Amino acid sequence: MAIYEAAFGFGLVSMSVIALAAVGFTMQFGITNMINLAYGEVMITSAYVAYYLDRAGISIWLGMIAGGLFGAVFSFALNRIVYAPFQRKGTSNLGMVIVSLAISLMLANALLPIVTYNSVSYSEHTGSIVRLGGLVVTINQMIIIGLAIVLMIGIHALLRYTRLGKAMRATAANPTLARNCGIPTQRVIDMVWLITGGLCGVAGVVAALNSDSFAIASGAGFLITALAAAVLGGAGQPYGAMIGAVIIGLITELSAATWSAEYKEVVAFGILVLVMVLRPQGLLARRGALAAAG
Amino acid sequence: MNTFYATNLLVYAGVDIIACIALNLQFGVSGITNFAFIVFQAAGAYAASVLSMPPDSNPDYSFQLYVGGFQLPFPLPWIGGALAGGLVAIPVGLVVLRKLRSDYQAIALLVTSIIANTVITNARPLLNGAAGLALVPQPLQDQIDPRSDEYYYFYIALTAVCVGLVWFVAARIVNSPYGRTLRAMREHELAATALGKNPVELKMTIFIVGGVIAGLSGAILVDFITAWAPSVWLYPETIILFAAIIVGGRGNNVGAILGALLVPVGLEEVTRQLIQMDIGPPNLIPALEWILIGLFILGFLWFRPEGVRPEPRHVFRGGPDVGEVEHGRLA
Amino acid sequence: MRIRPTTLAALAALALGACGGSTPTGGGLGSGDLLVGVLAPFTGADAGLGPAYYAACLAAAPSINSNGGVGGRQVKCQKFDTRGEPADAVPADSQMVAGNSNLMAVVGCTSDEAATVAPIVDKAHIPMFCMTGQTEFNKTKLKYFHRLVPADIYDAYAMVGWALYGPSPAPFHKAALVFGNDIGSQAFVEPATNAFTKLGGQVKNFPITLGAASYRTEVASVIAYQPDVIFTEALGSAGTFLGELKTQNGGKMIPFIGTSATIDPTWFQQVSQAVGVSTLVSNYGGVDLGYDFSGPAYSEFITNLNAAASQFSDAPKYKQRGSTLHLYDGIIMTALAMVATNSKDPTVYNPKIKEIANGTSGATDVHTYKEGIDALKAGKSIRFVGAGGQNNFDQYNRRNLKNSIG
Repeated sequence: MAIYEAAFGFGLVSMSVIALAAVGFTMQFGITNMINLAYGEVMITSAYVAYYLDRAGISIWLGMIAGGLFGAVFSFALNRIVYAPFQRKGTSNLGMVIVSLAISLMLANALLPIVTYNSVSYSEHTGSIVRLGGLVVTINQMIIIGLAIVLMIGIHALLRYTRLGKAMRATAANPTLARNCGIPTQRVIDMVWLITGGLCGVAGVVAALNSDSFAIASGAGFLITALAAAVLGGAGQPYGAMIGAVIIGLITELSAATWSAEYKEVVAFGILVLVMVLRPQGLLARRGALAAAG
Repeated sequence: MNTFYATNLLVYAGVDIIACIALNLQFGVSGITNFAFIVFQAAGAYAASVLSMPPDSNPDYSFQLYVGGFQLPFPLPWIGGALAGGLVAIPVGLVVLRKLRSDYQAIALLVTSIIANTVITNARPLLNGAAGLALVPQPLQDQIDPRSDEYYYFYIALTAVCVGLVWFVAARIVNSPYGRTLRAMREHELAATALGKNPVELKMTIFIVGGVIAGLSGAILVDFITAWAPSVWLYPETIILFAAIIVGGRGNNVGAILGALLVPVGLEEVTRQLIQMDIGPPNLIPALEWILIGLFILGFLWFRPEGVRPEPRHVFRGGPDVGEVEHGRLA
Repeated sequence: MRIRPTTLAALAALALGACGGSTPTGGGLGSGDLLVGVLAPFTGADAGLGPAYYAACLAAAPSINSNGGVGGRQVKCQKFDTRGEPADAVPADSQMVAGNSNLMAVVGCTSDEAATVAPIVDKAHIPMFCMTGQTEFNKTKLKYFHRLVPADIYDAYAMVGWALYGPSPAPFHKAALVFGNDIGSQAFVEPATNAFTKLGGQVKNFPITLGAASYRTEVASVIAYQPDVIFTEALGSAGTFLGELKTQNGGKMIPFIGTSATIDPTWFQQVSQAVGVSTLVSNYGGVDLGYDFSGPAYSEFITNLNAAASQFSDAPKYKQRGSTLHLYDGIIMTALAMVATNSKDPTVYNPKIKEIANGTSGATDVHTYKEGIDALKAGKSIRFVGAGGQNNFDQYNRRNLKNSIG
């Protein structure tokens, strides 16, 4: 039975990594109405930024901050240069999905000749191991879990208790009305891309650190997991994404322990499909994007 | 020019044209962003393979594992391939096309494409997993030597007949009252619903029709290359076809053909030639190709969202003047 | 990913054909350039494989050409990109075969594409030297198929042998099999399981999905099984898996034995980054194929490989790559077989390849093309012992392992 306890512990780590990625993704969708399929590639690019710094002898934790900064600036620029102009031009939501998919492919392929298909690792390894009953966790994994909790609480506080957060929720609910009420929606949206981009960058470095060895192809996997968690919880809802992350993180590890490791991802996607059939709006009903849970 | 090379080019062009017409019916005419399109082509290819191959107990085939192996004579495997494409479309359509908003549908289909590929890769007993199927018998190979020039001409003719057939069907659909309803739904789903049209049913039908045509394209392709594997139908393959439709002109069958000739046929050919020249690091040229495809998509959506050959305006002459009707705006 | 023909290859081949003309000279060897097709992945995830084979050809060609060629005919090399996918490989293959009447041999065809390309090449009666260990070729009926790597089954036996009889801290009696779910890897599971159980060992299979973000639960299951050795081939994901294994096992690595496919710079780089170089060195055993990297054949190979840098600057990098050595040998043996039979007809010279590789009784050992030609001129029968060591094809044209288990 120790294997289930262990799997549960790994589930905690996985869900932290997924939550970091999924919350940023779902906020972009909830507030700017943009399903940003380039999210996974921005994650992996940030992971590589940290990798090259790591090679230069800079600590991975500083690298993580650098990755976050890169993600923030890149996402901000991506929105300003590509997404926002297309949206202003009146491109439909569907058109925007295609635009972001094109960006995703372009980013991955711009990176490919530089980083090649080979897998790389950070020199900073998982740190020493801690056993809590059947749980086996490393110091780094505990830091990851802690970081995820802190950032999730931070997002909650931001949305709930700050003017910016309220402005974001107002923009999400009805951008025109928000603008008419004197909310500088343009600036709010810029802030959203900076914040979610930062989350995206940090999530990329965390995900890469978490998997010991990563490669360019990992980007697509990052996106799909973030997407699955976001859709599972109800797209556009940060709290939904957190719940989605918990479910997917636990299910993948527990199914690997109980059934076959070969299908662990299929199981997670299977649940996603089931939710789509039974409850297309996601687990948290959409009562205006970004409405507080509960 | 060598016959094989010409044949190869023509057959691929035919397959891409058929695929683009099918995708155009779904995406261009009806507004369904089928990011899982390649799955239906794959379904057709797999079905055509296992229908024409001997059972996997046959000594020549025993290195593979697969279901079926019916050794059916041509053209049954192709018909089977087309049907398989349609059959797969039913459950996928039921899940995805119901009440989801359009961009959500697109994402759901993208995820479907990835799940399907993962499952087939891992479930080896089903269709031989990652290794895929090989030694797929070719149509009438016992009557005409598949290595002869005659066979190449025969295959080109077969493909051409299918292109013609698909073109005819697609043209009929686009110009029929049903086609008008589809366009109405694309333009304004709520208005179409108010007029008593059932959008889910409309989408379902065209989704299945598209699936059947995609399945046929897969059958033609697999019998030409005699092999099929999960690595052939990864989701970016669908994106190339989308690029073709966007470049060619969505909603317009001529545009779809033009797009097929420009992007999957033309661009790929140029890339192939450049790969031979050893420029830069090993994957530079293929990477540049994808960047170019991305630029095509962005460039056309920005500067010419209607594509090279825009959809013809369907104007009802007797109606009141409604001025500039917003027309199929993707961008 | 996409499946397209290789235009330029066709045009180049047409041009070559045109230059060659069709005026036969003297013997049965014909005239004009001869072509060796390097049919392998040059792009895609396995793009690292093709260049190693191309280098082999570029090294073999001058060795032949500067010693009179094949009856005066010069050997040229041409890449045909399969993109490492079974279906993409077919057009490239058909194209190569249909467009080149002067094709003397095909080298490459890895496990990625061998299942689809080998039948086509065989049908065209072109001798091929494939770098695949797949079991489906263990008893192949393809007469023109030659395999220069050990069959997966031998690889699996060699791993078992290593675990039970040494060289290093053996014997191990409880093995965990960690193989990816890809084409090549799963082929090892059954033979390794059978052999190990038969010899009294205990074994359990832990298949993994390649490319997953983490394998912690899988690793925990492996550790819970408490194996004293791990057999593995999980290319691409080895770094992640072994890194997590070391971490969860409290920083202590379980010894692991890799298939011959793990003897690869990319694999080493990935795993050493993930677990650290010293851990890798002290815990890893790769089933090697016993190369000497010395002797007259090898020095001839190195000279020509270095010279090939003028055409392909990376060529010298492959000086210790097993596949490069073997394919180099394969091309030279083919050329010798053509000279020995005085024929450009593969149906005539193909059986001779096996004879030159295995040797008949009283045959003279030769190590280079020049030695071979001289011996043939002197009317001797020859056995070629090349840069990759002695070759010995069985009735299925597979090269037998000289270091198979004791």
